[in-house]
Amino acid sequence: MARAWIDGKPAALERAIGEAAKMLAASRCPLIAGLGTDVAGARAAISLAERIGGVVDHMNSDALFRDLAVVREAGVMATTPSEARIRADVLLLVGPGLENAWLAAAEGRETVHSRDARSARSIVRLCPGRPGAEGDGIRTLGSDPDQLPVVLAALRARLAGRAAGNVEVAGKALDELATLLRAAKFGVAVWSAASLDALVIEMLCGMVADLNAETRFAGFALAPGENAVGVLQTCGWMTGFPMRTGFGRGYPEHDPWRFDGKRMVASREADCVLWISAFGAAAPDWGEGPPVISLMTGDAVSGRSPSIQIEVGRPGIDHDGIEHHAGLGTLVAIAAARPSETVSVAGAIGRILAALPEVSPGAER
Amino acid sequence: MRTLIAGGRVIDPAHGRDAIGDVWIGDGRIVDAPPAGTAADATHDATGKIVMAGAIDIHSHIAGWNVNTARLLLPEFHRAAAPRPAATPLSNAGWSTFETGCRYAEMGFTTVVEPAVLPHYALHAHLELADIPIVDKATLAVLGNDDFLLGLMHAREGASAVRDYVSWTLDAARSLGVKVINAGGAMAFKANVRQFSFDDVVPQYGVSSREIVKTLQRAVHELSVPHPLHVHCNNLGMAGSDETALATIAAAEGLPLHLAHLQFYGYGKDGPRGFSSAAARLAEAVNGAKSVTVDVGQVMFGQTVTISLDTLRQFNARGHARPRKWVILDGDANGAGIVPYNYRSSDFYNAVQWAVGLELFLRIDDPWRVFFTTDHPNGAPFTTYPDILALLMDRDLRAQHIATLPPEAMAVTTLPAITREYSLTEIAAMTRAAPARLLGLKDRGHLGPGAIADVAVYDDQRDRAKMFRAAALVFKDGDLVVRDGVVTHYRWGRALTVRPERDRVIDRRMTDYYENRYGLSDALLKVPEHAVGRPEPFRLVPCVR
Repeated sequence: MARAWIDGKPAALERAIGEAAKMLAASRCPLIAGLGTDVAGARAAISLAERIGGVVDHMNSDALFRDLAVVREAGVMATTPSEARIRADVLLLVGPGLENAWLAAAEGRETVHSRDARSARSIVRLCPGRPGAEGDGIRTLGSDPDQLPVVLAALRARLAGRAAGNVEVAGKALDELATLLRAAKFGVAVWSAASLDALVIEMLCGMVADLNAETRFAGFALAPGENAVGVLQTCGWMTGFPMRTGFGRGYPEHDPWRFDGKRMVASREADCVLWISAFGAAAPDWGEGPPVISLMTGDAVSGRSPSIQIEVGRPGIDHDGIEHHAGLGTLVAIAAARPSETVSVAGAIGRILAALPEVSPGAER
Repeated sequence: MRTLIAGGRVIDPAHGRDAIGDVWIGDGRIVDAPPAGTAADATHDATGKIVMAGAIDIHSHIAGWNVNTARLLLPEFHRAAAPRPAATPLSNAGWSTFETGCRYAEMGFTTVVEPAVLPHYALHAHLELADIPIVDKATLAVLGNDDFLLGLMHAREGASAVRDYVSWTLDAARSLGVKVINAGGAMAFKANVRQFSFDDVVPQYGVSSREIVKTLQRAVHELSVPHPLHVHCNNLGMAGSDETALATIAAAEGLPLHLAHLQFYGYGKDGPRGFSSAAARLAEAVNGAKSVTVDVGQVMFGQTVTISLDTLRQFNARGHARPRKWVILDGDANGAGIVPYNYRSSDFYNAVQWAVGLELFLRIDDPWRVFFTTDHPNGAPFTTYPDILALLMDRDLRAQHIATLPPEAMAVTTLPAITREYSLTEIAAMTRAAPARLLGLKDRGHLGPGAIADVAVYDDQRDRAKMFRAAALVFKDGDLVVRDGVVTHYRWGRALTVRPERDRVIDRRMTDYYENRYGLSDALLKVPEHAVGRPEPFRLVPCVR
């Protein structure tokens, strides 16, 4: 059963769709944000942005763009979650925010680095921001994440045989770690951009590249949530660019500052927002702002009153979906676990597109 | 709906046809001419024009994780990254999936093969292909650096187990054929091997690159997959790689084998800089090895980006990145490497590379066994095809270009002495009839009754580059999609696939393998038909030869 609300009051789906189309068509600078959706939803959202001259951004773009900035400025040596789990004989966990299911599965496993001789894996945490658990076999160096930039710089200096000043981690421990990294057969450094600065990520990736002069080492960045990577890939092939891309001139333009959704709301450039959150029910993380059309899961949001809210299904639960899979590190198809009649993001946007005024032929995708 | 393309010069080498005549289309297929006096619903006057089947590109990196990573690595090469001038280095390259389909169609191409899909990333590749309008497409699944295959070989499990596994992979990834890229090289690189040749052995598995190639060649052949094993040899780009290519050609041993982008192996060690064209040697070997086909991978000057699943080679090439940034991925099997590169006409090595490609085109005597590629975008973007066709058809044009290049580079090639010019019939064979035969696509590449109505009509101009850049008319499945070099509307093609038979025991075995090794369900690796989100996204090609 389709549920929708206009100004907080229940409304028929078709009426909500029609009102949403009117608002978007009238908007001079529409912003499509949140973008927590599957590939079909992202495709629909980007097509809508193209049609109405809008801008697309994702709720986890900040983290995503920290990783992407390093790729675009310097490049990276990366590996897949499977190779990190299966092959890495040294796992270097850098910074906080690395407690997740993927890593829990890696801990305690043996590496199959050698086909015949399985070996235990060394795991080291660097400045995780929490004390190491006793007896879990994982070494922890440093604790304060704020100290990570200088600790990492000192480690890279020691790896290069250069002197390093006093940092939170003792010189002897740093040298032992440097020796461990150099002796790795296939080491993997893991981080989450949600908690690291772009310059720290660049330093870390530079260190990984340095290590490859002699041995094998690769980096692995945990993907931000809400299918940020899946939306990134979709945006990449559809426009040639990541999110923070706008269609105001009739062709895709990318500018990570200009098309930052939060900035566009704060500066009052965006005069209408289509907010999408189909995995959870994340609300926009800004206070005052322009009218919002929300495609969200669950009940009407209380406390703030989006102009229009349409309940959408959850990809992989209410309907089949394609999303980035943290375990495989790429897009996978997930069949609906509990199929329901709730409209998908792609379905809702498809109806909004159909309700927009006609444009010249050939624009359909 | 009956369409008539009237009075053009119809060039259809599959039927030995080169004559002024009509082509009739009915219900999306080429049909026999109806009885005299029958009216067409639509008539297109092709007087003074050339009529060919739609062109087929057998090797062009147009979709998938590696291509998309190149997009994300190089936003500054494209118009409107934090607004830039319109004429950025790759502004004409067709960078989004939508542009890719349009640029291809405008040149008269109607089928394109993405030749490097990692089986674990197959769904991503198919999603991108589904957003490439107009053309039909297909993928080659990359094997030969994967633990499962090398494990089968290590355990000496035999040919039937390999066949079943290859078949399972083709089915799961929905591919048209199999490619091997630096067989064993990516796996060896994970064990810190930095150079890997045809008879080198993969650490831990104890199998050589040669054995991997031979094992896959045999499996593909025995499964009756129409397209022979597609081989990206070891040692790509190195002086002396001609020896690797010659060894690989010899290893075909009379069974079908396709060598990709041979130009990148056409380098000897002669001359003052120890880098010279070996194209004459390679062409002679290809001419003598009748079961072998090759595509060229022509280099053209300008900025591009190299996209390859040859992790080892791309890692070793990272120092040449321009601009200075790159992405290297150690993948689940093959990895990937994205390294931007600028081919400069003033550069000795780049000029030799340019010449080697043309020498191969011109010295391999059978246009049915040499295929037209730039290994897009590795040698050059596919949008340079019209310029290459013009060079092949005009020795004076070649001479003009040669005169602008470093003489010491031309001196270590044989290009200046070659007088051959391709005829339009040879061009049509190389870009239409032969690729269809190589891929087992009996329904295209020709204009005989029953063929799908993929037709390109060109103005017969002296400037062949201009002629091939903008087709006058292009029909896809009988639908007129390009007029005067401009796409008029989108339609959606299909991905062509094969599904050879297999013993279903392998399915259970793969389920167990993915559970045990990866802790993942093998269902995640399969590309479901409905997931692609277009009507009839796939079409099965029969496995018969």
